[in-house]
Amino acid sequence: MKTQEAINTFVKETGGWVAAQLEACTRCGMCAEACHFYQATGNPEYAPVWKLELLRRAYEQRFTISGKARLALGIDKPITDADLTHWSTLLYEACTLCNKCSMVCPMGIDIGPLLHNVRSALSEAEVVPLELMAAVNKQVTEGSPLGVTDSVWDDRMEWVADEWEVELPIDVKGADMLVVFSSIEIMKFPENISAIAKILNKAGEKWTLSRQGREVVNFGFYEGSEKRTKLFMQRVFDAAKALGVKRVLVTECGHAYDALRWTAANIMDVPAGLEVIHIAGLIGDYVRSGRIKLKPGAYDNDGTITFHDACKIQRRGGHIKEPREVLNILAPHAFKEMTPNKEEAICCGGGGGVIAIKAADPQRYAVFQLKIDQMKKVGAKTVAMTCSNCRLQFTDSVKHFNVDVKIAGLSQMVADALED
Amino acid sequence: MDWNAILEFARGTFFQVALLVFVAGMVYRLARILLLGWKPNRVTAKGSRLGGVGMSFLKGAIIWPFIPWVKNTASRNPVIYIAGGIFHFGLFTVILLGTAHMLVWKSLLGFGWPTLPLPIVDWLSAIAIAAMIGLFINRLINPVLKLISGPAEWLNLLIVFLPMVTGYIMTHHLFFRYEVLFSLHMLAVDVLLIWIPLSRISHFMFYFFSKAIHGAEFGKRAVTP
Ligand code: HEM
Ligand code: SF4
Ligand code: SF4
Repeated sequence: MKTQEAINTFVKETGGWVAAQLEACTRCGMCAEACHFYQATGNPEYAPVWKLELLRRAYEQRFTISGKARLALGIDKPITDADLTHWSTLLYEACTLCNKCSMVCPMGIDIGPLLHNVRSALSEAEVVPLELMAAVNKQVTEGSPLGVTDSVWDDRMEWVADEWEVELPIDVKGADMLVVFSSIEIMKFPENISAIAKILNKAGEKWTLSRQGREVVNFGFYEGSEKRTKLFMQRVFDAAKALGVKRVLVTECGHAYDALRWTAANIMDVPAGLEVIHIAGLIGDYVRSGRIKLKPGAYDNDGTITFHDACKIQRRGGHIKEPREVLNILAPHAFKEMTPNKEEAICCGGGGGVIAIKAADPQRYAVFQLKIDQMKKVGAKTVAMTCSNCRLQFTDSVKHFNVDVKIAGLSQMVADALED
Repeated sequence: MDWNAILEFARGTFFQVALLVFVAGMVYRLARILLLGWKPNRVTAKGSRLGGVGMSFLKGAIIWPFIPWVKNTASRNPVIYIAGGIFHFGLFTVILLGTAHMLVWKSLLGFGWPTLPLPIVDWLSAIAIAAMIGLFINRLINPVLKLISGPAEWLNLLIVFLPMVTGYIMTHHLFFRYEVLFSLHMLAVDVLLIWIPLSRISHFMFYFFSKAIHGAEFGKRAVTP
């Protein structure tokens, strides 16, 4: 194991903003109650502040006098191999990087990004859970964590175009917008592709897909490896540059949006003038500006519809209002909010790569029970969302618990209710 | 024992040394944070960073259960919200608006201000002391707090507690002679002043960093912090 690499990474990533936040923590423990993993299991090790423990130790032992003194006196222990293996289970199998904890920290510590730093160190130490790492490696070699190779992608797109009779422009130079789907959509929710294509075509968007930049998911970002995060984003940016587009549209994937929209500019060169947007925001823009028209009340007669906020698209993406505006048109009477919602929403439990790791299943399902409770309380028959990773977790867990709710992608709902 | 001499020392030389350690220590802590380097954030904002910072402080001004802005959190952490809120409120009021304390500030700063009547200050300190005991018990029994508390966390509570109880007992002329209690109070204050830069009690300074970062991050994303 490469314990020293992990420690070096911690040290490298400790800028003033990391240090200031670590220093601010009063160890009040309030963040525990915000974490759905703690809520669902009561395991004190799932407290966000405890997940940060390694980063705190590395920082204090390297940079602070009291930390050095405590290390010398044996009150604090140096970071060991065993620590890294243990924290790997906490960080990858019991944290979705949803950043809910940051909402409740009385000191306002932005815990999520700090947890991401812990993952980065663990990835340098090569203690990433095997299944997650296998998916990362697959994305490196095949271009997709789910094995969507070039030929699979070609077949799949051809099939979608046939099946739903929709036009899918590929590698069109001079288009305005590059649309990048995730493998999850391509393999598990292909109807999403046709739905988004229909919406874009209806709005008269000049858009294109790209063979080169065909994967929006970023498993390097889940892993926490800056190198691979960049590599996967570079593929998208290269494609955008080659096609000369002005905007990149991230489809129903949350982590990808966080990486491309909110992280890329700080770790690599983003092509000048390129804008990264999300389908949830774009639909909102289209509706507001009248570029697409929706059938009012289209879903008002199928029982209560609720909306699940994805951590990376709503809380950390800022597209909180748009889906609600859309649902208030589509189902003004049937749409009901769960509590808590919006920026305070409870995460689905499958994000951050958790769903890819078998060992995380017990807590992933435990967490989903919180979601089931929420849905039951509003009597939801349908739950809409804007992230296909959430959707994967919902589809799987609803089956696991045998719950009778319909899982719907918002784009799909919009596409099916387009006014001619 | 010559308590007058001890009092003289605790109020005089030791207090000045402690004050010096406190100021120098905090300046050092601040400088270290600033010198660690701050990478500029090159991400184009969607909302207003400044607006986010403002909102973040507005909400933070209420470390207090009146507005449980995160549903379920205040109710899930009632002890910390209520006891923590009362403790800080009592502490600040007594330190700033207690007549005796104001006079210390006056001697340090050169100007004074109106203070609260003694009975109010007295009640607030009693409640603050009770709240601290509540926080202590909570830390003893809450599984998460047990896990994250090391010697430093227990010392934090003890070292903040001592000036408060000695001060309280002193104003009520209980148990000991006045000079003895005053000496103990001052010694406890001196120890606290030295302890602050060495410990997490310095959170009151970093609070302004973390809250600002939090607000800017959320504001950037056009999300209410
Ligand atoms: C801007 C000023 C300050 C802010 C925003 C602040 C905020 C907080 C918060 C949010 C907590 C954790 C929750 C709680 O127990 O209430 C805390 C804990 C604490 N604060 Fe402060 N604080 C400030 C100033 C101070 C000062 C000046 C002192 C003492 C000299 C102090 C002493 C403590 C102690 C001892 C704890 C730990 C309580 C425990 O262990 O449970 N605080 N503070
Ligand atoms: S980011 Fe989310 S999952 Fe991770 S510790 Fe915080 S609340 Fe829990
Ligand atoms: S809520 Fe914030 S201050 Fe309290 S323990 Fe968690 S990270 Fe630290």
